[in-house]
Amino acid sequence: MLAALFHLQYLSARNRLVTRFKRLKKPKYLFGAIVGGFYFYFYFFRYLFKGFGGGQSAGNLVISPEHQLLIESCAALALFIILLLAWIIPHERAALTFTEAEVAFLFPAPVSRRTLVHFKLMRSQLRILFSALLLTLFSRRFGGHVWIHAIGWWLLLSTMNLHFLGSSFTRTMLLDRGLSNRGRRLLILALVAGAGAGIWYWAKATLPPPTAADTADWDSIQVYAQQVFGSGPALYLLYPFQLIVRPFFAPDTATFFNALPAATLIFLLHYLWVIGSDVSFEEASLAASQKLAARVAAYRAGNWQGASAQKKQKPRRPWFQLSPTGPAVTALLWKNLLGVGQVLSPRLLIVFGIILGMFVYTMGGSIHGQNIAVIVEFAIAIILGYSLLLGPQLLRMDFRRNLSSADILKTFPLPGWQIALGEILAPVTVLAGVQWLLLLVGFALIFFLPGKYVTLSAVIGIGLIPLLPLLDFLLLLIPNATVLLFPSWVQAGKDSPRGIEATGQRLIFAVGQMLVLMLALLPAFAAFSAVYFPMKWALGPVMPIPFAALAAAVILGVEAWLGVMLLGKLFDRFDVTEEPGS
Amino acid sequence: MVQVEGLTKLYGDFTAVNELSFAIQPGEVVGLVGPNGAGKTTTLRCLCGIIPPTRGTVRVCGHDIGTDAIAAKKQLAFLTDEPRLFDYLTVWQHLSFVARIYQVEGYEATGAALLEELELSGKRDALPGELSRGMKQKLAIACGLLHAPRVIYFDEPLTGLDPYGIRRMKDSIVKRARDGAAIVISSHLLHLVEEICTRILILKNGRKIADGTLAEVTQKFSESSGDASLEEIFFRATAEASPPPLPPVLPP
Repeated sequence: MLAALFHLQYLSARNRLVTRFKRLKKPKYLFGAIVGGFYFYFYFFRYLFKGFGGGQSAGNLVISPEHQLLIESCAALALFIILLLAWIIPHERAALTFTEAEVAFLFPAPVSRRTLVHFKLMRSQLRILFSALLLTLFSRRFGGHVWIHAIGWWLLLSTMNLHFLGSSFTRTMLLDRGLSNRGRRLLILALVAGAGAGIWYWAKATLPPPTAADTADWDSIQVYAQQVFGSGPALYLLYPFQLIVRPFFAPDTATFFNALPAATLIFLLHYLWVIGSDVSFEEASLAASQKLAARVAAYRAGNWQGASAQKKQKPRRPWFQLSPTGPAVTALLWKNLLGVGQVLSPRLLIVFGIILGMFVYTMGGSIHGQNIAVIVEFAIAIILGYSLLLGPQLLRMDFRRNLSSADILKTFPLPGWQIALGEILAPVTVLAGVQWLLLLVGFALIFFLPGKYVTLSAVIGIGLIPLLPLLDFLLLLIPNATVLLFPSWVQAGKDSPRGIEATGQRLIFAVGQMLVLMLALLPAFAAFSAVYFPMKWALGPVMPIPFAALAAAVILGVEAWLGVMLLGKLFDRFDVTEEPGS
Repeated sequence: MVQVEGLTKLYGDFTAVNELSFAIQPGEVVGLVGPNGAGKTTTLRCLCGIIPPTRGTVRVCGHDIGTDAIAAKKQLAFLTDEPRLFDYLTVWQHLSFVARIYQVEGYEATGAALLEELELSGKRDALPGELSRGMKQKLAIACGLLHAPRVIYFDEPLTGLDPYGIRRMKDSIVKRARDGAAIVISSHLLHLVEEICTRILILKNGRKIADGTLAEVTQKFSESSGDASLEEIFFRATAEASPPPLPPVLPP
């Protein structure tokens, strides 16, 4: 039976690979694969190849023997905490997540639970191997043998996977025997508290307490931590976890092979624990599979929020009341703002504003002689910069999310430009709202700034008021136009492609969008310069900034308007029968 | 109410709809039938302006859907077999949204009546995720009917409805036709078409192969008697050739 399931896995993987190779006949995938291949090679694989060639990596980080134990202990502690959480946080019954097809074929079939668990373990190995590869590519940069890192990661991830599974089975068994989630949590927390108290008592009784000078000195802290972890109850508590992570940290082949048997033994014990558990997981698995399928469908439809909000949805309060008459664009804005969710509700923004306001009025002090207000002003400037960079990528309640509903939008008795405007307005509103709030904080901070910064901060802030929403608008127009122009290239719709070629496609588009943005900003920059430099002779370098920004904003406004018209035309011409991602 | 002339839709070299022409009068219920791939859904999508035809014109209440799309779209509703709703809008919020899009003043009374008629009154504040398949279908129907369209296209309107819902749906279609709406129903449920349609349009490979009342179509395709069912007529009209003979039964 297991051989048949293995065959299923093999065929699925092979067919997926063949499909991906076949689609390289299409230029969009071929170019994507080439660019994606270069990207992965230059950022990851060339380090791996060097490592295999030379044995030892080019990393310079060499762990001294005295630090080896401390690092192992810290890693063991981290592992202990992660595994402990698996016993405390979850409240559901054990559920192995299968695809809906697997549920449909395997659950009614004469397949034992143990075989299903084996199948699940076998399938999880694909994910673990891939994760181990990626983590090795990352961790080997810090030094050590590549193969030791790879096997170390694999052992660690596989053991963790088995532990998560085994703990879910045991939790379910305890539930069936009458121990509630609450009781289990209290019991485990009591055990942890007892262990913590034991370690604390032992350290207090045995080790000289660290002085105030010790806590300020990093080396002293390390020595103290080494003493706590290296002897006494902490050593015994963390020892099994240390055994699991030890192969990964082995500095050479001999140490690795010395550490391997103990780690393998723990891995095998975990395996026996999982396989020996006989817990009913089918019903919970069925629900989990349906949830997973819904989440995948939402992801593939470009609805990231819907994907993350599969667990519970409740009606959201609209940002404003919608009357039946008035510009229809407002209806689209209203609808898309509802999609933003309650995370960014106006009420929360007001509360956020009040908290920030209170924070601002405590800004009289200084850190290391530097005025706090100046530091916060710089932080605001950096956040504003990042909001322009990341905001349009994160806020996707526009055509990128709604393209799968393009046929519904097309039945609306609205011209294309109105639909385009309505689609873009929601992310612009949210982004500009957050940015203006930050500007408001910045303006409030002006009262606490040293005199030399006051005028500069004020004029830059005033200049940004009209510029930011228009920049947002432009930044959102470009990806939306891209979606409508190249629906099959952009990962907006269902069945979006994955893999190296998809990464390459994304890179091509990122570069293309950057070029278009630079072109779009050139006229605004020219307008800014045309106003700024003549005025600079008369008013100095600071005062012309708001006037120049206003001139740039006018140009950006014209570009935004033309962009909406163009986007509307693109939407009118958009053929809904063209499958995105095909 | 609806005039279609020379409607053609090509996808590359493939002809989905080929030189289709017909007209629908107020009060008519036209059944659009044909085998899978006959071009029914493509035809409906062209009729309501979701996709542009490659050739030909579609006029809705005198407005060309190609050149005067907004005026034409204000008069029509397209109800698909798969209800397409917004995940984060409640039942009533869907109606509010549609009311603003179609500028339906005083929609509250109409909306409440529609919810009552479709047995959704108790679900005003429910999200689509909380509704059954049939309820979602009813909500989509309520949204489509809120602006009192004069032309209604249904694509498999009974999918997902329970027997009560089916009965109500049929009554609702007939009532709206009686009130003067022009209705097109695309369906594989031939008994539904036979029961409520006043005219039948049979498509095959994108071409119209029959158009008329049930009696006219029956007469055209009836071999001996004139009382054949629509199912028999459908098979006669759309059959490629006689089915191959069954293989002889082998002795055990």
